[in-house]
Amino acid sequence: MSAEIAASTDRHLEIAGATKAFGSTEVLKGVDLAVAKGGTTAIVGPSGSGKTTLLRIIAGFEAPDQGSVSLKNSVVADAETWVPAHRRQVGYVAQDGALFPHLTVAQNVAFGLNRRGKAAGARVKELLEMVSMDYAYAKRHPHELSGGQQQRVALARALAREPELMLLDEPFSALDAGLRTATRRAVAKTLAATGVTTILVTHDQAEALSFADQVAVMRDGRLAQIGNPFVVYTRPADRATAEFLGDAVILDAWLEGSLALCSLGGIPVRRPPAQGRVQLMLRPEQIRIAEGGPIRGRVVETDYFGPETTVRIQLDPLPIDPAKPVDPHQPKGGEIIAIRHWNAMLARPGNELALRVVGEGVAFPYQ
Amino acid sequence: MVLLSAAIAVYALVPLGYVVTETISAGWDTVTTLIFRPRVGELLGNTIALVLISVPLCVLLGVAGAWLVERTSLRGHKAWALLLAAPLAIPAFVNSYAWVSAIPSLAGIFSGVLISTLSYFPLVYIPVAATLSRLDPALEQSAASLGLGPWHRFFRVVLPQLRLAITGGALLVSLHLLSEYGAFAMIRFDTFTTAIYEQFQSTFNGAAANMLASVLVFFCLLLLLAESRTRGNVRYARVGSGAQARATRLALRHFQWPAQLFLAALTLLAFGLPLYFVARWIVQGGASIWQRAELLPALLQTLGYGVSGALATTLLAFPLAVLAVRYSGWLSRVLEGANYISSSMPGIVVALAFVTLSVHWLPTIYQTAFLLVAAYVLLFMPRSLVNLRAGLAQAPVQLEEAARALGKPPLLAFLRVTLPLTAPAAAGGAALVFLGVVNELTATLLLSPNGTNTLATEFWALSSEIDYAGAAPYALLMIALSAPMAYLLFSQSKKAAGQ
Repeated sequence: MSAEIAASTDRHLEIAGATKAFGSTEVLKGVDLAVAKGGTTAIVGPSGSGKTTLLRIIAGFEAPDQGSVSLKNSVVADAETWVPAHRRQVGYVAQDGALFPHLTVAQNVAFGLNRRGKAAGARVKELLEMVSMDYAYAKRHPHELSGGQQQRVALARALAREPELMLLDEPFSALDAGLRTATRRAVAKTLAATGVTTILVTHDQAEALSFADQVAVMRDGRLAQIGNPFVVYTRPADRATAEFLGDAVILDAWLEGSLALCSLGGIPVRRPPAQGRVQLMLRPEQIRIAEGGPIRGRVVETDYFGPETTVRIQLDPLPIDPAKPVDPHQPKGGEIIAIRHWNAMLARPGNELALRVVGEGVAFPYQ
Repeated sequence: MVLLSAAIAVYALVPLGYVVTETISAGWDTVTTLIFRPRVGELLGNTIALVLISVPLCVLLGVAGAWLVERTSLRGHKAWALLLAAPLAIPAFVNSYAWVSAIPSLAGIFSGVLISTLSYFPLVYIPVAATLSRLDPALEQSAASLGLGPWHRFFRVVLPQLRLAITGGALLVSLHLLSEYGAFAMIRFDTFTTAIYEQFQSTFNGAAANMLASVLVFFCLLLLLAESRTRGNVRYARVGSGAQARATRLALRHFQWPAQLFLAALTLLAFGLPLYFVARWIVQGGASIWQRAELLPALLQTLGYGVSGALATTLLAFPLAVLAVRYSGWLSRVLEGANYISSSMPGIVVALAFVTLSVHWLPTIYQTAFLLVAAYVLLFMPRSLVNLRAGLAQAPVQLEEAARALGKPPLLAFLRVTLPLTAPAAAGGAALVFLGVVNELTATLLLSPNGTNTLATEFWALSSEIDYAGAAPYALLMIALSAPMAYLLFSQSKKAAGQ
């Protein structure tokens, strides 16, 4: 596995070789993951990739078939050891909040507290303040709250026992777009203030990239790549990861040394994985419309979004170099690429455009 | 828990196992001589004719009533909705008693059809009305936009969506028809159940009664099979997401008065007439009928059996419901199947099995309160299960997990989260069991300890002696205790429909 483990000496959570099967379906096929103390990790992957199962194994709702889970260097699950969920000191926020419908907000938040009466009341107030909820909500029942408020109460409830590790299972996915961003910011701020180690599971790559300082991309029961958000986005380990994390322009290219020759010209590549025939990946925002740019193309289609327009451009066919008329590796041009541009007027179907590439590309072995 | 559940499932199959082993051990010759005889042919004719006439009538009345109440501009539709469910509060044998009081010469198949249709059409009406009220009107609107008129829309879009409710209701009606004893014995209309009871009275534990029981059970299983066949695999739930609009009601215009008349006549016959005759007997009987020495003990014993039956059933149904909802696997499927089959067993068969088995194997418990409660558990377990399962569905396992993540061990998490959330449903199920016990006649007659009288058995004894005035207070008490059940069923079906 090519996954690189975050360099840290102060590991809070460590998973080694975890597998899990439900019946004949292998959900986890050997997962290694280390999370640094106080860090924020997002496990991101398409649905069915096994990310929720991984989280449930960390929480102690499921046991791994093989492998081990350690919290703060002590094993909580392996072939011999099993520490159940209620003894793991782990906070957990479920997708829909999982607030107890028969209890009020205050009773929900106080559920995990061992104190009663005044002491508990004071703590509840403190916790609600921590998640920016007015204490007036304390007497309400969960169904009287909006989705975002429910999630914040669920977070307050999970924070009540001062866990050192917080697990968030797609806590924002049930919220609508505007509320999602606001709730995510509020939660991230609260968690950062408490300094708790956080693991977020999500299928939304933008959420993962913006929330976490370590992103683990999960696919088909394995972690395809682990790294900081900038690295996994700009230097994805493989084509599937590249396409999962965002739009990608993929072109056939010929790699010699660290220069890939393709229809967009010669593009520098860092850490080339192979030589010769490769697939070159660029993010659309690396390809810019620029007066006097070296690459020419014609707009074939546009998709207007308001602030931005997706522009599909057919690259002009390239003339064959008379010096090497039979070189099979020469780019021929003619591919259609999709980029984004803010100026819808400039990008009208039929317009001729000049383009320029900024930054480095990523090369994948040819498939 | 798994072991306990398996034991309960095996227990649920006791009556079926009993009938099968009795049939096998009787030997082929006995079976053929006892089954292929004119008497059985006559009973067969009666029972089949009863089912074939009453069930379609119940479906017709139930669907028509539900449609008028839910989908037309019927005036006072809220009151009618409740009134159409009201006949459920009248036990069928009380209904029969009232009709015999009205027309003493009632007898034969058409009286049987009359009384059973009036008693049981709400069993179709309630699920159909619930389904109609939750049916997405967008379906009908789409059909309208595809050029279908109101009649075509009803037959091609609405009626197919009601299939589950109709077949489910029809199955319930048929099972009631097969297992009802009192209502038919009162009008001297012979069905398998009344014949088994008579055989049992004359020969106690004869092979003849057992063979009749096995034919009866065969019919019940046949009905189950037919119902599960017609259910099929078609999807009837709403496919899309998003909120559902309210249905528009069809304007009745000049059909308003005929519709009102029809419902008034139906309610009058099914609900008004029994109430009137019970009241009339009470007035005629005067104060003396309330001063019988048996009345208070019968009421107390009925309440005692009702409470203990309800408690025992709910306690035993809980692990089954948890297993069925939380764990899918072969065991929960077996449990479902066992429960499904036992839900179709008539009271007379359960009683017969319990009498024979206890006399043979455990004579100490024969004619004890314990055995009677055990039979109630078996008879009414399905009612409790249906409610508990719905309740557990309201308490998803994620909540328990959240409690565990908050430091509560599994048992405490269950007690503090799942149990309180399931309590209302469990109470609803227990109430239904309680009221089932109150109106139970056949098994109670066969199994109750000497000297024990419930409201139902005492009512039965008095009306069999043609002391109709003396029986009236018992009838009134049973109706008073059953009315909450009818209301509960009605409001639960509305709640399931999201209202």
